[in-house]
Amino acid sequence: MSSDVRFTDFKSDKQPTWCPGCGDFGTMNGMMKALAETGNDPDNTFVVAGIGCSGKIGTYMHSYALHGVHGRALPVGQGVKMSRPDIEVMVAGGDGDGYSIGAGHFVHAVRRNVDMTYCVMDNRIYGLTKGQASPTSRSDFETSTTPEGPKQPPVNPLALALASGASFIAQSFASDALRHQEIVQEAIEHDGFGFVNVFSPCVTFNDVDTYDYFRDNLVDLEEEGHDPNDYEAAKEVILDSEKEYQGVMYQDENSVPYNEQHGVTEDMSEIPDGAPEDAMDLVREFY
Amino acid sequence: MAEDLNWAVGGEAGDGIDSTGKIFAQALSRAGRHVFTSKDFASRIRGGYTAYKIRTAVDDVQSVVDRLDILVALTQRTIDENLDELHEGSAIIYDGERSWEAEIPDEITAVDVPLKSLAEEAGGAIMRNVVALGAACEIADFDVEYLDESLEKRFGGKGSKIVENNKEAARLGQEYVQENYDLDHLGYSLETTDNDYVLLNGNEAIGMGAIAAGCRFYAGYPITPATSIMEYLTGRIEEYGGHVVQAEDELSAINMALGGARAGARAMTATSGAGIDLMTETFGLIATSETPLVITDVQRSGPSTGMPTKQEQGDLNMALYAGHGEVPRFVVAPTTITECFWKTIEAFNLAEKYNTPVFLISDLAMSVTEQTFPPEAFDMDAVEIDRGKLVDDDTVGEWLDSQGRFRAHAATEDGVSPRAIPGTTDGAHMSTGLEHDELGRRTEETDVRVQQVDKRNRKVETAKEEEGWEYREFGNPDSDNLVLSWGSNEGALVEALDYLEEDDIDLRVISVPYIFPRPDLTDEIESAEDVIVVECNATGQFADLIEHDALTRVKRINKYTGVRFKADELAEQITEKLSAEVPA
Repeated sequence: MSSDVRFTDFKSDKQPTWCPGCGDFGTMNGMMKALAETGNDPDNTFVVAGIGCSGKIGTYMHSYALHGVHGRALPVGQGVKMSRPDIEVMVAGGDGDGYSIGAGHFVHAVRRNVDMTYCVMDNRIYGLTKGQASPTSRSDFETSTTPEGPKQPPVNPLALALASGASFIAQSFASDALRHQEIVQEAIEHDGFGFVNVFSPCVTFNDVDTYDYFRDNLVDLEEEGHDPNDYEAAKEVILDSEKEYQGVMYQDENSVPYNEQHGVTEDMSEIPDGAPEDAMDLVREFY
Repeated sequence: MAEDLNWAVGGEAGDGIDSTGKIFAQALSRAGRHVFTSKDFASRIRGGYTAYKIRTAVDDVQSVVDRLDILVALTQRTIDENLDELHEGSAIIYDGERSWEAEIPDEITAVDVPLKSLAEEAGGAIMRNVVALGAACEIADFDVEYLDESLEKRFGGKGSKIVENNKEAARLGQEYVQENYDLDHLGYSLETTDNDYVLLNGNEAIGMGAIAAGCRFYAGYPITPATSIMEYLTGRIEEYGGHVVQAEDELSAINMALGGARAGARAMTATSGAGIDLMTETFGLIATSETPLVITDVQRSGPSTGMPTKQEQGDLNMALYAGHGEVPRFVVAPTTITECFWKTIEAFNLAEKYNTPVFLISDLAMSVTEQTFPPEAFDMDAVEIDRGKLVDDDTVGEWLDSQGRFRAHAATEDGVSPRAIPGTTDGAHMSTGLEHDELGRRTEETDVRVQQVDKRNRKVETAKEEEGWEYREFGNPDSDNLVLSWGSNEGALVEALDYLEEDDIDLRVISVPYIFPRPDLTDEIESAEDVIVVECNATGQFADLIEHDALTRVKRINKYTGVRFKADELAEQITEKLSAEVPA
């Protein structure tokens, strides 16, 4: 079936209500193309999203999907994959969703290494609540709730992932369509938790981290000859606060995904009509 | 009333009190005797008073009473804590060689056994509790061979040497008492039978029920007293193709369980009140996205951190009303340990038949109490599984709209929509906590909003008609005195009937396992002269519901000391209430 799946099959008939020019359009298109390109179809794909502009993605895509509560998309995605190893799981979130309210879940999802893909649409601002500072906002970024800037340094999600033992860390740019799609594809194909931080500019509220800014400043790691299997090199680019990078920063060649580690290989949706045949053994244990 | 024996072992946490009690309880169970246990423990790992109590009889026992016959005291505090339950015929086993000098009331028989020395003689001081068990067998005139069986079960995995040493320790304890004391005047003699019993607690019954019901995915976060459900499932659920995951917090746990349920697995999470607080955020999402999920709340004393190791039934209102907005849910409350098993199975069926969350509420007393049952009480052949309107590739077509889109939230007459799980061809759809149309797409249209709210509430109405919301009844059905209860108080109430009979007082006892929907008790209440509601909380949350339903005032018996009701104590309180005025 998947051979004739086109990326438009992953599109719903609902028109996005994102602002014209929003980076989320490109982020989503790349995700859909990557899913189709890796042989998935809407019936075997589960997309989870939280709250915020990013959270709307499940509405605009066509697949099995859940639009959950703020910051908790990762636990839902892990629950799906742990109980259904046969299903492709993709989680989408924003920088607030993922690195603020959901930061705790992020750390643990990374260390569990469940075989799924996590794309964070990072616009470095809270868009849907109309322009407050986000965890990735620059320390001098002036907003309605931080008139002099947040002052504290932004979260470095890539470093947080690395420190948590991530097996795949990448960054892409929504507007560089082909590279973004390629990077998401690599994340899907990775055996384990594929994390992609996607620069997805907010054209309405963020006049600093703009398309032009990223176009002018983004360094492509592939062109630089970066070896993602080299942990030390990965550490260097991830901790480099001077430059913005796109590409796969780190990939653990020996990654063993959660389900494999725990021997969780069965489709848990299939259960007998009554109690399992040997269930009386459970009772006899209490003799 | 059952010819019973009340036994206890007490000391500091870390003294092996729990395993000592469990070994003796198992020995009694192996001897074909009924056993009912209770635990008194503090919220700490080491130190602090802790006790394991056993009531045993040849007849069924369902409660603890205010009497202690044989006490194994490893500390003075154990004696002090239980003074009011000791009587002239009681015996206290203690170790006079230890540094503390036991202060034992004159009228109580003090049995000084050098527990440590004898244990060392048998192979190690660690076995001093087993020496005490041997001594207890001698006092109770109970065949020590049953203790051997229990020791084999407990230590069999550690090798025959350990088992033999423990048996020897028990023998030394028994012989010491035999040689140094004449205790025949106490008159204890434990009869044995050929009956086969299993011995388990409420949390084990819930875990076993979950596996039997096809639960394959469990996500939870450790919290007293719910953790042992997770511990039971770990290592067992895998045998049936399932998985247990310890999440980073309760928020994650319930969301993981939600993911598992949407993926098609029968999924569950369990916690105690404080954890439900955190899970409440996701509760509305589960109901609105119409996800079948079982959420177990093993209640403990609240509010806040309250008394984490003590009994209470204070979360009933939370189960009924948790979450913002109005969402349909079921609230099921097992009343006995066997019911913990059966109601868990029913909770999974209800969740999937009506695509909605089911609160399974138990309490600390039931979760830690071990009780004997004939194994047939958990007859696996009687387990029925109903997966509701789960569609597959062949049946999904009935639920597609004209453009081939799956109507996951179809506004059916019975309020129940079809459910397609990932992998079902053409079943792809989104679910959300946002108000949505039949396809799951966000909407703010007034008529669609009303359609979906009505649809979700309609399934409760359907369930009210389709399901049997029965109650359990005991005592005299024609009595003018009606006592109502929910949760683990049932056993104590049933035994209180015997005490009251001695004073020529009869009762009709109704124990209600369903809180929402719940059986209509209006007729029963109207035909009674006195109505008393018994529950382990201060304000009478269940009594409030009864008053609301029947439009009448009821009398209340509330206990919120942190300790469960005892049969004799309850009989006394009921007698008092019967002669009291109905509150204005």
